[in-house]
Amino acid sequence: MVEEFDEFEEELDLSKLKRKKKKEVVKEEEIITKTIYEKQYYPGMGKVSERRRKILNPEKRLLKLRDLPDDAIVLLLGHRLPGSLYRSIHPPLDELIEEYDPIKNIVKPTSGARAGDRIRFVQFTDSFWRPPFAPWLRARMYFTRFRGVDTVIYSGREIMELRERDLETATKMLMETELFDPARTAIRGITVHGSSLRLDEDGLMFDARRRYVLNKETNEVVYIKNMHAQILDKPISVGRPFTEDELREFDVTYRWDTEMYKSRTEILMIINRIQKGRAIAGWNPEAATDI
Amino acid sequence: MKDMVDIYTDEGDVYKNIPVQAFSPLYNPYITKIIRFIKRTAFVSLEQLQQNYQRGRYGEMTALRKDEIQMEQYIRKWNILKAAPEIAARMQEIIALNPKLNDGDGAAEVKLLMDGKLLMVTLPDRRIDLAASSAPLFTITGVALAQAITEIFDVHIEKDPDGCTLIKTGIFGRFPQTREFGSNCPIFAFMRPPQMEEGIGSLFRSMMINHVVALAKYRTFDAVALATILEQAGQFEMGNALGWFERYHLLGMVYQGFNANNLVMDLIQENAEGTVGDVVHSVIKRAIKDGLLYLKSDKYPIVQPSGYRMYSTRDYPLWNAYSVAGALAAAIVNIGASRACQGVSAALSIYSDLLSIASGGLPDPDAGRLMGTALGFSFYTHSIYGGAGPGAFTMDHVITRHTSGFLTPCVAAAMCLDAGTQIFAPKVTSGNYLKLRKELPLFAEPHRKAAEAALSIKDKF
Repeated sequence: MVEEFDEFEEELDLSKLKRKKKKEVVKEEEIITKTIYEKQYYPGMGKVSERRRKILNPEKRLLKLRDLPDDAIVLLLGHRLPGSLYRSIHPPLDELIEEYDPIKNIVKPTSGARAGDRIRFVQFTDSFWRPPFAPWLRARMYFTRFRGVDTVIYSGREIMELRERDLETATKMLMETELFDPARTAIRGITVHGSSLRLDEDGLMFDARRRYVLNKETNEVVYIKNMHAQILDKPISVGRPFTEDELREFDVTYRWDTEMYKSRTEILMIINRIQKGRAIAGWNPEAATDI
Repeated sequence: MKDMVDIYTDEGDVYKNIPVQAFSPLYNPYITKIIRFIKRTAFVSLEQLQQNYQRGRYGEMTALRKDEIQMEQYIRKWNILKAAPEIAARMQEIIALNPKLNDGDGAAEVKLLMDGKLLMVTLPDRRIDLAASSAPLFTITGVALAQAITEIFDVHIEKDPDGCTLIKTGIFGRFPQTREFGSNCPIFAFMRPPQMEEGIGSLFRSMMINHVVALAKYRTFDAVALATILEQAGQFEMGNALGWFERYHLLGMVYQGFNANNLVMDLIQENAEGTVGDVVHSVIKRAIKDGLLYLKSDKYPIVQPSGYRMYSTRDYPLWNAYSVAGALAAAIVNIGASRACQGVSAALSIYSDLLSIASGGLPDPDAGRLMGTALGFSFYTHSIYGGAGPGAFTMDHVITRHTSGFLTPCVAAAMCLDAGTQIFAPKVTSGNYLKLRKELPLFAEPHRKAAEAALSIKDKF
């Protein structure tokens, strides 16, 4: 018996019982690209650079802080009544007779473009006083996270134009997440002025049209007018303002009291390098090789 | 210097191993043909001319045609359209030179197009060779037209002195009291008249972007190729593409305008559902794969403490070509998604910004000129400062002309992809060119033809 058992054990190939490792077949090309290139979004050490990187990286999820109903977004934008149909500027793409062009079939249009929606806008203002977001970063973020965008940057404001239903989705995302502080960022279509003014007695960014007020009982910011400063039938609450600690947490700007000047050495170095490269390459393109 | 590329058309046909010099406007037979055509050919809108005389429109007219001057006391009931064949025949006689001399390069041709509503005047080669500028397109054509009308309608200085002067005014407007010819001038060409030249050597760039789109019949790669041809013809004329810069321009031209090595198409296909940011990373990935970008070391300062890597390029002109090709792909990906061309300016400027940061501080496309021009372009196509849509700008406009010819091809591509959101659409601004497209087979499929022409001369380099 014992011998038989031994024989059996000899025949048994233990390697078969071991968990097999999957052999990864990696092409040579992939090794080169994967080992050397990882997507990089922004230079710099520290919290502020980390925050900029997070905002620019579409793979990172932004913190959702409040829940705004779809109808509230539509009312705030003020381009159409909630529940009404989307108006179109041209027939849906499926019905449109277009000239022959192979490129048109490659790029996938957004749902708004496919339906032929009008192009509408949303405009955000960011206060100068420690806001969670800033116009120059908005433009970069719009182009890494949204498709089919048109945007124009200004000092304290940033307009975004999209097909109407794409715009509503984008606005919802921008207003519900950590990128929107009810007190220091605002949605303004007209009379956008207020970015660089002092905050009012409730800590809200100045608005000449007084679109929003602080409800002192609930401590929430309430929009009483829409983006175009037209009075809303029913006020819309967009949640409580960030506390000072939260604002420090979400800050995207280097400041004396948080991230000091020296901590952005890396960024200054890159800006310097870009500008030097432009000067050399503009002078003689061949000289810019290996800089 | 030997840069070989493969040219891919939008339908996937390949023309292999072509040296980039074969695309130089000075060598490429097809591009040369287009340039010669532009230099020789003028058009006369007989419909416009008839309106001028029959409604007394001799003065200035605004673009909106609201407050034009109509002098009803100076109406002449000449039926120009009916007399079109005679006018054409007479003009040809007047313009042509003696065919027996100079190997017969004095032949002229005046053709009736579009049911006799348009005259296409091809001036003799010799008149163009011996001219200093683009003036003959307007002067020779205009004066020949005036003389033909005088003879055919029998206008005599003693019987109808006003009629004699009105003939000139109907053709040239108030010129020379004004710098430009009247806005009701029936003569037009692919180039501006020389007194309107927007800076030296920019006459070839004087076509409106919408005209290019109309000539290419809304086909993206063809419009890009045509815009590139015109832009680079201008660059070579103004001395911008000389010596140090020649290779830089040729590489940029071939990669952006003619889809060399399928770069633009690959980027579009890879990011068909992506964003501009994705295109940026695809460009860098591709450049690293092709060995164009590399890291000098894996230590500080090349790799920063945060892990940020500063790439270097082995060949800057080629990297610039990659980045401008990426700019075109970014514009196509963004506009293809929204199918509304207004976003092209913002896409180009932010693409440039993202690219220089993502590549670790390499100069952005066209050494920063693309971003600067695109920023200005976005400012002046939008909002209170906005006058016209992106397509209504000419290529030599003070806002669009500051790149080395790499901005307007992207705008032309965007106009092709627009699904009908623009007020200044090619159908509105360039109706004549849409009709001309059918009459001018030369402008059909410029991308393919330029590649074929380059293939035919590739052995000579």
